[in-house]
Amino acid sequence: MGGVKQVLFGDVNFRPKEDARSVVSIKSRPWRVCVLLILAFFAFFTPAWFPKATGQIAPRQNDLIAQASAARMQNDIPRAIELYSRAVQANPKWPDGWWFLGSLQYGTGAYVPARDALSHYIELIPKGGPAFALRGLCEFETGEYTQALGDIQHGISLGAANEARNEQILRYHEALLQTRLGNYTSALKMYSIFAKNGITNPELIAAIGLAGLRMPLLPKDVGMEQQSLVSATGDAAYRFLAGDEASAARAFQELFQRFPTTPNVHFLYGYLLFATDPDAALPEFQQELKIAPANADADVMTAWGLLLHNSGAEALPYAQRAAEQKPALPSAQLVLGRSLMETGDLKEGMLHLERARQIEPNNLEVHLALATAYSKSGRKEDARCERILSLQLSSSKGATPDHP
Amino acid sequence: MNESFLSSFRAARAPRLTTLRLFLVLVLLDVPLDGVHLVAQQAQTNAASSCARCHAAQAGPQPDTPMGRGMQWPDANPLFKSHPQLSFRKGPYTYTVETKGNQTLYSVTDGTRTISLPIQWSFGKGGQTWLFERDGNLYESMVSYYPSIDGLEITTGDSVLTPQNLDEAVGRKLRKTEPKDCFGCHSTGAVSMGKLDLEKLEPGVTCEHCHAGANAHMVASFQGEAYGTAPPDLKGLSSEDISTFCGQCHRTWEMVVRSNWRGEINVRFQPYRLANSKCFDGTDPRISCIACHDPHKDLVREDSFYDAKCLACHASRDESANLSAHTVAHRDAKPCTVASASCVSCHMPKVKLPNGLMTFHDHEIRIVKPGAPYPD
Repeated sequence: MGGVKQVLFGDVNFRPKEDARSVVSIKSRPWRVCVLLILAFFAFFTPAWFPKATGQIAPRQNDLIAQASAARMQNDIPRAIELYSRAVQANPKWPDGWWFLGSLQYGTGAYVPARDALSHYIELIPKGGPAFALRGLCEFETGEYTQALGDIQHGISLGAANEARNEQILRYHEALLQTRLGNYTSALKMYSIFAKNGITNPELIAAIGLAGLRMPLLPKDVGMEQQSLVSATGDAAYRFLAGDEASAARAFQELFQRFPTTPNVHFLYGYLLFATDPDAALPEFQQELKIAPANADADVMTAWGLLLHNSGAEALPYAQRAAEQKPALPSAQLVLGRSLMETGDLKEGMLHLERARQIEPNNLEVHLALATAYSKSGRKEDARCERILSLQLSSSKGATPDHP
Repeated sequence: MNESFLSSFRAARAPRLTTLRLFLVLVLLDVPLDGVHLVAQQAQTNAASSCARCHAAQAGPQPDTPMGRGMQWPDANPLFKSHPQLSFRKGPYTYTVETKGNQTLYSVTDGTRTISLPIQWSFGKGGQTWLFERDGNLYESMVSYYPSIDGLEITTGDSVLTPQNLDEAVGRKLRKTEPKDCFGCHSTGAVSMGKLDLEKLEPGVTCEHCHAGANAHMVASFQGEAYGTAPPDLKGLSSEDISTFCGQCHRTWEMVVRSNWRGEINVRFQPYRLANSKCFDGTDPRISCIACHDPHKDLVREDSFYDAKCLACHASRDESANLSAHTVAHRDAKPCTVASASCVSCHMPKVKLPNGLMTFHDHEIRIVKPGAPYPD
């Protein structure tokens, strides 16, 4: 196995000195090769992650493996794929064979067989982070978005993103998938890492625009008629995420003028402002509701903003409307529970908070609210349990930078 | 408890009194209007003294408490009179705080260049940090005065900063919304409807700060309409609500957990520490901020003062003789097997902040085991 690195990195056009400020393109073959090589590197040079391969190799099979390896080294990919296919048929418990087969197939764009080969590998090596990540990238290409997100995240949890460029590739795909699956705020959080590091390109800007506009699409799926909206939104949001709030403010004002009735534009600006200036965010959410009165998320954020002003009575109608429209939205149940507590209906408030906890058991805000609610209602032990849970959840997310 | 009632208390940080009405009050009080600054300086004392006509026990001592003097104008700051020249050196930078007449200059030099700025606001009564304006931005001084060393040291929380040049060494530029928090807690009337307006502030925590509507009530009382205009009585709040109320400035349990401020630094945030105590009960009035502390008076520093507060729940049969019948009837917690005096010295140990310059009693009431780490 010692020569694998040399072989792999010697026979392709690897471009390690490419400008780090350009993000990966999901369509670009060199980047696909780059993904492959990085993951391969991790797969074969971090043995601590991988239990020792268990497949027994018969003496006559050594010839087949040698031929497959030679074909791969000579960049004769079709023949290498054929030989590795024969090798794993002969010995299905040979994990390295499945890895080479899957990764080579991924490199040629044969995503379905690549995915299947990697599944075989994962059956043999269940803690193979890079294999999960690469299978996730295959599933991304085949349109199995939910599985892709799960595999990429699992791969990351097993260490597939421990190297900077690897992390960039996987996080970018994870954010694309979050957007495609409707988890827009998670996507924006991931894109903020790219923006803070000054990484940019038109595809990333479009991807940020899609997450900001809450459109469950991939950049490649944006129609011509929406491209200017998506890229202008992405550009404004990118500026904000990169820390240039003054320039972002100008870009958003321009955006509001160009697209005065487009939903989610004001919501996006409000969402971005909220973390540092909830007072400035509140009018944006209220403006959003004028454009899109059925936007339950805008109702939630308006209610939350009003609760921060200790205006529970004003928050209540927004919270009620959000919970009516989206009863399964934990944040809607949360703001309704909070608003009811603030307006004196502690008992009903607790019911909604408990509903929110049922929907999303690890939501810190829900546990914080429940701790207070139980304490106010004299349920001392329940309050204590919620306090302990809240402390545990808060520890796992790390300290905020504005330490007092 | 009606929660809208609580909301009206919380709105206290948003002042109800307009500048015009403040002037009206001052005219009624026969305050000489020889300059807005002087008027504003005197407003706190006069408003409080006016409140003291009816509420002497509260409004009388309150203006001189650490909260009452939570912020001071530089020309009314006793520290600058008693310490006209303070200096401190950290690395290549030397800081001086020099008072001449009514002006106090905050300066920092690297030996070749010096930046001097007038101190505009002093935060704190004993320990002090200063705020000043530079190029349209507000800055917190890089150094603060600490009574424990009777001198300057790096401001708490700023020791992690490593200034790369003289401009950075001056101080920490406040984040966008930070001034609202600073002035919102250390002064009265500076924040209205979420907006900061420094023209309207009164230094320190005045009656109006906690009792929203107090100034209007005072005006009404001069017109013979005292009854029916009084602000809501805070004593009606539950212990949990009191913690939330005081925690608006002393930090609530939720704020600290949400921000994950861990370690000894959070010993300053008493509502958070108290809520983590095993004995804390949000509905029991025997364990709340105001069960032990009267916010209108200076903090009592004798440990023995608090014994009765602890014994309200933890009294043994022998100790019951000195307690009221009501307390005896309701004592329901285990008595201490070691002592019945100076409870806080063991169960609320003193904890130093990481910079070693300030010490606080830990409000997480507990049985402290030798060598046990700080339960953060």
